[in-house]
Formats: sequence, C-alpha cells, structure tokens
Amino acid sequence: MKDPFEAAAEELDSPPESPIPAEEDAAVAVDVDEEEADAPSQPQASAPPGPVGGGGGGKGKEEEEEEEEENMDVEFGKFPSGGDPDKMAKMQAILSQFTEDQMSRYESFRRSGFQKSNMRRLLTSITGSQKISIPMTIVVSGIAKMFVARIVMMERKESGPIRPCHIREAYRRLKLEGKIPKRSVPRLFR
Amino acid sequence: MHNSSSSGPPAKPRVGASQASEASLKRKRGVFQKDLQHMMYGFGDDANPLPETVSLVEDIVTEYITDMVHKAQNIATKRGRLLTEDFLYLVRKDPPKLRRSSELLAMHEELKLARKAFDVNEDSLANAE
Repeated sequence: MKDPFEAAAEELDSPPESPIPAEEDAAVAVDVDEEEADAPSQPQASAPPGPVGGGGGGKGKEEEEEEEEENMDVEFGKFPSGGDPDKMAKMQAILSQFTEDQMSRYESFRRSGFQKSNMRRLLTSITGSQKISIPMTIVVSGIAKMFVARIVMMERKESGPIRPCHIREAYRRLKLEGKIPKRSVPRLFR
Repeated sequence: MHNSSSSGPPAKPRVGASQASEASLKRKRGVFQKDLQHMMYGFGDDANPLPETVSLVEDIVTEYITDMVHKAQNIATKRGRLLTEDFLYLVRKDPPKLRRSSELLAMHEELKLARKAFDVNEDSLANAE
C-alpha cells in the first residue's frame, strides 16, 4: 500500500500520471512497471465524464486555434515517454485497455491547463508590468499545474468530491515538508 | 451534509476588497475555475468537484504563483527585466518541474517552427498557381 503522494512524487518526471495506486490494482488489469504511467483509477461512483464535455472545450476561445492545435499535438502526437518506442508501446497497451471513465479522466489530465490569457493577466497584475512573454506563461502554467497535481493527489479518495478540509490538510502537510515556498523575504546581506 | 450549490461563483471583482491596497490585486474570483475543474478531475477528484474546493485550490495556486513570481523578480532585478530563465532558475532544485518546463518550452519552439514552415509552404504554393 504505497502512499499516493509518494507514488505521485516518484512519477513526477513526466506530467504527473495517475493518483492512487492502491485502487488501480483492482481497477486495471495491466501490468505496469513502477516508473511508467499508472493508469488513472476509476472513480468509485460511476461518475459521468466530468465538466469536460469533449475534452478541453473550454480552451481556445480567446486564444485562437494556436492553442487548440498545441493541445492536440501534446495530446496525441507526443507521449510522455518522449519518443522511446518501448515506453510508447507500453503506453499504447495501457490506453487501449482503458474504460470510458478512465479515458475521460486521462483526457482531462492531459488536456487541462491554465488558459494562457488568464495566466498572462494574473502575471501582469503580480509584476505590475507588461513584460510577460508567452514562454513565461507556458512555464508558469506548467509549474502551477504540477503544483495542483501535488495538492490534489495527496488526498485519499474516500468517497465523493474532495472537500476543502482535505485540501487544507494536504496544503498544511506540504508546507511542513517544505514544498511550498514561504513568504519570500529579500536577502539584504549576502 | 450540505449540498453544494449548482454553479460556481461568477467572475466578478470584489470591489470592497480591492480597495484595500494596491498590492492586494483586484483579483476576480473564479478566473481559473473552469480550468481547475478539469484539472482536478484529471488528478483524481470527482467529476464535478465542489465549488468551494475549487475556490480554495485557486486561492492556493494563486498564492503559490504570486510567491514564485516575487522570488523570480528578486532574482531578475539584479540583471534587468524579468525573463523566463528566472523561473527555470527557481525550479532548478526540483528536477521534475525543471524537466517539464524545458519540455514545454521545447515543444513550443517546435510548434512555432512548424507553423512557420507551414506558412512558407502555403505562400509558395499560392505564388506558384
């Protein structure tokens, strides 16, 4: 019974893959090796595919097709293995065995992200200047997404939706482990 | 147990709070709500995460980003303006994040080149006809 957080931390070399290894032993009949992606576990309740509605539909309205195009390429063209044929084959094997629910969740996992325009607006408001380049928004979005992954995946999936108290607990634990940057104080003397 | 309300908070600025100080951003609530819903579902939450949970995660993430940006700015002011590299420097001790950031940047470059090549081809085709 591995701690889901540890499992998540192990797998964080590519986009964090699934939560909850404990459940997935039952849910997935595929033999997966530790390092590679574990298939997302099936939600306990037969939850309908989430707010996604066709995967990533919310994005790409303000940003033009560029962003959708990017997402599509990321989704299907590039596997997390990064071209390694062995891993790709394994990935294909896993994906082909996904149930509908698992596929829907995986799709959300891959495609979800912070909308560039919103992120840019946030970064601009924080820095107070206009010099926010697109690569910067990309990097910050990526890092922030991994952070969300850590927070959410720390939760044991007991039943039903995650409640704020769970999140607070996870946040507190992460803080203790020093994963959350404390309020930065400028170091005056070096 | 209380049932959560059906729809999330609308993205309206909180006027009272925003008057507090310049630094405290006139942050709209629920800016990332939709994105976060998909994200949390992808990471294992319920298909329909509780709105209050999403709001809390949004607050936490915004705080995280804010802090990260301030740190990056502290680094950047020594040299001049804020650059993407400053963020990469920040996560240098966190290999997964560093790797992922580099990967994302590389993909972005690749796509840019691909699109440029595509445009060039279109042009030459158009001229040829």
